[in-house]
Amino acid sequence: MTKSLPGLLLAASIAVVLATVPWWNNAVLLQFGINAVQLAVMAQAWNIIGGYTGSPSFGNSTFYGLGTYGTAITMVQFHQSFGLGLGVGALLAVIVALLVGIPILRLRGPYFAIATLGLAATVGAIFANLPIAGENIGLVLPLTRDEPLFYELSLGVLVLVTLTVLFIDRSRFGLGLIAIREDEDAAAVTGVNTTLFKVTALAISAFFTALVGGIHAYWITFVDPSSSFDPRLNVNMVIMAVFGGPGTVLGPVVGAFILSTISEVLASSISTAASLLFGIVIVLAVLFMPKGLVDLGYGFRRLGWRYFTETVRQYRL
Amino acid sequence: MLLMQILLNGILLGGLYGLMALGMGLVWGVLNIVNLAHGAFIMMGGYAVYFLYTSAGIDPFAALPIAMLAMFLFGFAVQYGILNFIVRSALLNTLLITFGFDVVLTYVAQLLFSADLRTINPPYAGSNFGVLGLTVPVVRLGVFGVALGLALGLWLLLRMTRLGRAIRATAQNLIAARLYGVDPRLLYAVTFGLGAALAGAAGGLFGLVSQISPYVGATLTAKSFVIAIIGGLQNPLGAILGGIFIGIAEATSALYLSPTLVDVISFGLLVVILVTRPASSFRAA
Repeated sequence: MTKSLPGLLLAASIAVVLATVPWWNNAVLLQFGINAVQLAVMAQAWNIIGGYTGSPSFGNSTFYGLGTYGTAITMVQFHQSFGLGLGVGALLAVIVALLVGIPILRLRGPYFAIATLGLAATVGAIFANLPIAGENIGLVLPLTRDEPLFYELSLGVLVLVTLTVLFIDRSRFGLGLIAIREDEDAAAVTGVNTTLFKVTALAISAFFTALVGGIHAYWITFVDPSSSFDPRLNVNMVIMAVFGGPGTVLGPVVGAFILSTISEVLASSISTAASLLFGIVIVLAVLFMPKGLVDLGYGFRRLGWRYFTETVRQYRL
Repeated sequence: MLLMQILLNGILLGGLYGLMALGMGLVWGVLNIVNLAHGAFIMMGGYAVYFLYTSAGIDPFAALPIAMLAMFLFGFAVQYGILNFIVRSALLNTLLITFGFDVVLTYVAQLLFSADLRTINPPYAGSNFGVLGLTVPVVRLGVFGVALGLALGLWLLLRMTRLGRAIRATAQNLIAARLYGVDPRLLYAVTFGLGAALAGAAGGLFGLVSQISPYVGATLTAKSFVIAIIGGLQNPLGAILGGIFIGIAEATSALYLSPTLVDVISFGLLVVILVTRPASSFRAA
């Protein structure tokens, strides 16, 4: 605990500074901030199932979508409050995670990845055909132009999910998850209830992803199947987590902020080639820092430029 | 009769689906890389054949070998120059880097060829003949035949040649293969090149029966992935059967359910198959 205390203090003070952003009187920055913080929450939530447990979920947008629709249906069709809507969305996501997680988490590696991708597509199609969810058209939520509220709420969820990850990182539960990631059979043999652990990890991940979905829905005041269950969302959160460092406490958040900033700067300065450069950034990042930014930070301090030759040597054929 | 016609259409299209999955399954099974740029490779093959036909006047079916050779060289270079440096790291990394390729290739295609939808339209595109009261489009039959031929060719290559033996040996045990004199860097590059060449052929055929745009890649990658799993990674002919299975499932579900559900059907089937088949049969990956 003492070893990482400076890092945590730094993170805490950065969080305090970030909380003052709404008072900087910069509407563009606030807009960008809400998006970046929400992506950071998703990357961090993915980190629990993908980074710590090592189950590469490409279907977390399922839970995001359930969050958006849970909130929207509660508010629009039942005229309840936003808070209740958030709760309903999160509950829905956790229930689905528990029900679907048990069969799907038996699959490993790419099979799990594609099953979760299929899950997102299937749940999206179900909502596109539900009358209560507005079918293909979606739902329009009551308008509330309170950007600071949405920003602070998102930031609050980010702090909460990061504290959860910190707790997982230090707990027996987290050790069990890491054991599953490194060797699932060995973990089972040493007494880890792998199914229980993996399903719990997925449910926690689903909970936070759904919360951010609900906030996003109320912020944008609109939900529809294609944006709620957008497959690009899955890819984005995975990239951000892996860029920063999967299986670390702060890596996914750092990765999300850096990549959000890069793509925002690229989009505003050279909008035509933004996606091209984004693709190149991903390729270079995987080539030169396959273990993520956090590992690069530690390794570079230890080895200097030799860090790069060492990692290449480790993974080349 | 309508059902029979739908089944026939599904089977003919399924052959092409199988060919798409063939290259992805080969690379996955041997190199343990799930190539998310596979659909983009298919797209590149499609454009290659399209321009060979419209600009150079080469018949699309005759242009296939040229496109395949070009894609082989491209795939060889990508594996030898880039992927070989990262291939032994975690699966997520190879997923991500190939996703990066997909983004780059899609963008370059959009820059060079614009976002227009293009179809390869040889003079015989509309012709068909009747058998037992069913209509058989000539182009689709040709596409099916080429797909089947390529699958058979790959099967023979893997079974009968030294290269094929080396590929199969490497898939089973890289270290043992290396001890028997296989150069893994070269072999990985050749295998990835073969996968890209098959994608190139699938792209040309896809352009004949459907429309090519810079954005078709992602859907085709997902479809190839699903079929590669259903067909299994071991046998090229399994991929064709998997393709036909999905082709029929899509065609019949478009008829009886709703066309909007077609893409969900293949994913839903996949999830069901994955979950119900015993986990042990997937341990190998």
